[in-house]
Amino acid sequence: MVAPTSDRARRAGSGIGSRVLTGVTVLGFLYLFAPIIWIVVFSFNAPKGKFNYLWERFTLDNWADPFKDQGLTQAFWTSLKLAVVAVSVATVLGALIAMALAKYRFRGSSAVDIFMVLPLTTPEIVLGASLLTLFVDTGTERGFWTVAIAHILFCLSFVALTVKARIRGFDWSLEDAALDLGASPWRTFTKVTLPLILPGILAAALLSFALSIDDYIITSFNAGSTRTFPLQIFDSARVQVSPQINVLATIILVFSVAVLVVTSIFSARRATS
Amino acid sequence: MNDDEMLRQAIAHSRALTRRRFLRNAGLGAGLLAAGPAFLAACGDDSKDSDAGGGESETTTAKGSGSADNNDLYHANWTAYLDEESAGLWEKSSGKKLFYSEEFNDNNEYFAKISPELSQGNPIKPDIITPTFWMAGRLINLGWLEKLPVDRVPNAKNLVTSLVKPSWDPTGEYTLPWQSGMAGIAYNAKVTGREIKSIDDLLDPEFKGQIGMLTEMRDTLGLLALAQGIALDKPTFDGFAPVFDVLDKAVSDGQVRRFHGNDYMDDLSAGNFAMCFGWSGDVVQLSKDNPDVKFVIPESGGTLWSDTMVVPKGATKLDNAASWMDFCYDPVNAARIAAFVQYISPVQGVQDELRRMGGDAAVAADSPLLFPDETTSALLQSWGNLSEDEEAKFDARFAEITGN
Amino acid sequence: MATDVDGRRPGRFVPWALLSPGTLWLVLFFLVPLLTLIRQALSSKPSRFVPAQFSWEWSNFGTALSDYGPQFTRSFVYAGIATLLALAIGYPIAYFIATKGGRWKDLLIGLVVVPFFTSFLIRTIAWKAILQDDGPAVGLWRVFLGADARILSTPMAVVGGLTYNFLPFMILPIYVSLEKIDFGLADAAGDLYATPLATFRKVILPLSLPGVFAGSLLVFIPAAGDFINATLLGSPKTTMIGSVVQNQFLVQSNFPVASALSLVLMGIITALVLVYSKLFGTDGLAA
Repeated sequence: MVAPTSDRARRAGSGIGSRVLTGVTVLGFLYLFAPIIWIVVFSFNAPKGKFNYLWERFTLDNWADPFKDQGLTQAFWTSLKLAVVAVSVATVLGALIAMALAKYRFRGSSAVDIFMVLPLTTPEIVLGASLLTLFVDTGTERGFWTVAIAHILFCLSFVALTVKARIRGFDWSLEDAALDLGASPWRTFTKVTLPLILPGILAAALLSFALSIDDYIITSFNAGSTRTFPLQIFDSARVQVSPQINVLATIILVFSVAVLVVTSIFSARRATS
Repeated sequence: MNDDEMLRQAIAHSRALTRRRFLRNAGLGAGLLAAGPAFLAACGDDSKDSDAGGGESETTTAKGSGSADNNDLYHANWTAYLDEESAGLWEKSSGKKLFYSEEFNDNNEYFAKISPELSQGNPIKPDIITPTFWMAGRLINLGWLEKLPVDRVPNAKNLVTSLVKPSWDPTGEYTLPWQSGMAGIAYNAKVTGREIKSIDDLLDPEFKGQIGMLTEMRDTLGLLALAQGIALDKPTFDGFAPVFDVLDKAVSDGQVRRFHGNDYMDDLSAGNFAMCFGWSGDVVQLSKDNPDVKFVIPESGGTLWSDTMVVPKGATKLDNAASWMDFCYDPVNAARIAAFVQYISPVQGVQDELRRMGGDAAVAADSPLLFPDETTSALLQSWGNLSEDEEAKFDARFAEITGN
Repeated sequence: MATDVDGRRPGRFVPWALLSPGTLWLVLFFLVPLLTLIRQALSSKPSRFVPAQFSWEWSNFGTALSDYGPQFTRSFVYAGIATLLALAIGYPIAYFIATKGGRWKDLLIGLVVVPFFTSFLIRTIAWKAILQDDGPAVGLWRVFLGADARILSTPMAVVGGLTYNFLPFMILPIYVSLEKIDFGLADAAGDLYATPLATFRKVILPLSLPGVFAGSLLVFIPAAGDFINATLLGSPKTTMIGSVVQNQFLVQSNFPVASALSLVLMGIITALVLVYSKLFGTDGLAA
């Protein structure tokens, strides 16, 4: 649901206040991207030693061979796979919870509300250690799937929270209208409900993806011998920080920005048509 | 109510029924989708893990492939501790497969990972792990290790005499050192402006806030203890009280900028540290790239440590483990590994072998950090074993001072 | 009786059917381990490396609070400051995107999230490099504060790291909230001769409060339990409670005290959240 901006608001917003706002926003984005700029720039660095901290000279060598560090590359792919699995499951489960909580009032709903958010109030180390205890007690082998379970857990809460905030106050009578007009429940869901809640779900999925790719503490407790990207970086950063890390990070960045730009061009075009 | 009303209600009711049923099915479907992975994980299937997990066997560095049969070996080690060639050479000569994983990054972290299983008498996945000597000592005391198959490791006779039956493994039956090293002072000559020789330099107020100390308790405490003339071979908590006092003062005065692990090299290079406690091998690497960075054993002495190979209890592939250990203790192979790792090799004859190899390896043969001479060796001391209670007291007090 | 928001009664089971898979997951993988944690907190160990025995050992909680009070306080102070900073930086950004974003709203909000697709460690290393003693950032800083000033290994660096790492968690909820506002209301205020500032204060700000509320929670809570920033950017004097918990779990192997610490941390956070939500009058823990 997009709120209409009014002419007055726009006009009123072109004074000094507006310019200050723009200035602050630009600074804010600079702040957000400062480390990113460093990461990209230093992917072209040829460091003298094992640590890529001081600028030496420009080189394209790192980019010519970004997958030189096999361990890092493997870990990279593992993290991607993990994130896809975790986000898919968490999005479905979380969206269902959000729908239930936002649409219906029932006894126990506030209890569920709180319960759903509790994992987010739990320190990561507690989540990690307690899950480990569970896996060990049940004799579960630690590896890819145990990490996936852990990731789904915290993404789930996050998705439910975000989607619920997004779809609160929706006009659910639209669904009824569709049904009254003869649409089947499935069709109603896909053509009416889903498009309405999709933006919220996508936003939540996006952030869950970032959470999963980035997780260190919970993963380190439950990964067994599986190596994820953060694990590999953190552990090998004790001995070296290679430009390959910058290269891989830049690749992720460029890819996600590209996806972003493409989808927003589409939606911008749709908005004006 | 009238007929229209009733009709409308009836229609709404029937719609609601179908919608309800649909939603319920959707919920169940999603539930199965979610339960799927849970069941898979709960089954804890070995091959499932290595296949479905996107190839766990691939998620190691390219030092040998792995497969879940009886002709393989799983060695968990620290990073940068094995060169590219040796694994492949062993696989060829032995016909076995090495699954080498650089998952050993911190003794305590790793201990926490394996103690749930080992404390209940269950085996862990790796066949060989490489804890630091004091952790190996702890594992021996807890009874969580298998005796090494030394009868099948003929090359074990090549072990340097100083490391035979060491303090942490008095019977010599449980451990075989992988590499040894020294802890001393690493400093950035450009920042300090002068040569550094002793712990007094480290504690000089001139460098307030520019000092680093290791989170590795035995190295930090050891270096400070030696400066006070306290020996390391029979350490007691009460005996170390003055050492803890010095450390406490250094922290509260702000002399120490932070406690670090291996990640001090960037701070040294960047000038965030004027000097810090560090390890010989690391600094060898760094000095090559930044000649301002130097390593010195303090006048009062430095600590000597070893990372050792042990076999956890319940491991079954003792033959394969013996074969790999034997391979690594052949001077030719040991030299190749040492040339890469740049630490002190536990195998005799490596120095000559390195000279024979020529080139960079020959340079390594002359390095006093890899092959300490008599004077240097006299300055080095190793920690004696601590009982469980003493170790707990040491750990608690150290954690308190370092801010935890 | 279960009712949907229009007051009708579609049947008791629909909401539960929707909830069940997710809730089951939470019960299995969150609640059950949590109960184990509570049991651990009330246990004691005869010696360091054996599993703990349940014994109604309440003293663990006492130890947790008395021995580590400074770290607890410090964590909440740092997290609080980080939350305020995130609000100060994040609100204008969210406001800008919501009001001036136009067709490019999605792109802009996506750009807010994109930096966080890289590993936090790489980002923190980047900050370490940018804030290093000999770097340009500190050089500028030293113009104001003298040649010995530094940023790294100070509380400032830690708070800065916390603020940075959790900033999108503040921006996104506020943006969502602002986006739902009908700016025709601002028009109406203007028609009633309100200045832009008054309009903002009395109309827009209150309507965006649910977002502010959610954002502050999403920043404060993880920040209070964080320790990576303090470890990488701080000094021994900036230790946060998360470090203590990790140390107790992993180094001291003192599971009972570590579990007690975790539970105390969770308890304090929950209490603060409840107080906060009472003050702001929003329903429940979500906007």
